[in-house]
Amino acid sequence: MGKSKQVGNHKNGSKKNIAKQWKTKRRTKDLDQIHVDMIPVNSVKLLKQEVDFDVTGCAQNYCLHCARHFINLKTLKEHFKTKDHKKRLRLLREEPYTHAEAERAAGMGSYIPHKTKEVHTQEVEENMD
Amino acid sequence: MRIEKCYFCSAPVYPGHGMAFVRNDCKVFQFCRSKCHKSFKKKRNPRKTRWTKSFRKASGKELTVDNSLEFEKRRNIPVKYNRELWSKTVVAMKKVEAIKQKRQARFIMNRLKKCKELEKAADISEIKKNIHLIKAPHAGQTKQLEDKMVQKLAEDVEMVE
Repeated sequence: MGKSKQVGNHKNGSKKNIAKQWKTKRRTKDLDQIHVDMIPVNSVKLLKQEVDFDVTGCAQNYCLHCARHFINLKTLKEHFKTKDHKKRLRLLREEPYTHAEAERAAGMGSYIPHKTKEVHTQEVEENMD
Repeated sequence: MRIEKCYFCSAPVYPGHGMAFVRNDCKVFQFCRSKCHKSFKKKRNPRKTRWTKSFRKASGKELTVDNSLEFEKRRNIPVKYNRELWSKTVVAMKKVEAIKQKRQARFIMNRLKKCKELEKAADISEIKKNIHLIKAPHAGQTKQLEDKMVQKLAEDVEMVE
């Protein structure tokens, strides 16, 4: 742990309402849910969604690892270059934490150390015109 | 009734204590106190949070793999009440706990032993690097020179004779 990860408090509007972000109403997907999404059977469905006019970009540009929709391919590609996305890939490398692991840590069975696996950004189709 | 374990810090959650969060995919997360719940809401990683049990186990601070840890388990099979079995279990539990404590304490003591060695090595290297602070680099050299001179003189005198 050590130093706080929060850097700067003025430029970013969302950081001013941290308590609001933690509300159940605004919950985003947890890392273990994204791990489930990353299973090829599920990821195929998420990456090729049907046109939905209620969702950003008609649900056509979805970042699997950040669980976010983008308005078009260009912004999606820009997003892949961002710090947020790279950080998310780094976090997803580790096996997700589970309640079972908490129990093993509490002395219910031997504790097995978690594994890490490299995660790469999803591939994007180039021929979009 | 069951004593659950906290999702975040692995502490026991007794009935009527803490809270449970049910995510919209029906997964239940038990928390022992608001501190743990808040940390969960902040999406902190228990493996990286220093005060949790999982941090201590994941980073090798505590005994992780041992047979004494295999007794406490979530058993989903109901056992019919049997006085003899009950009293035997209580005795066994106490024995297991004592063994576990002993082994855990020994593990920690062994872990701390390594620090002593490292400290010693670090001290030696520090002294080697900063020896000039203890002993001046030219200390005693004048005397050595003097001794050499005297020796030479004596040799010269011998040669002349």
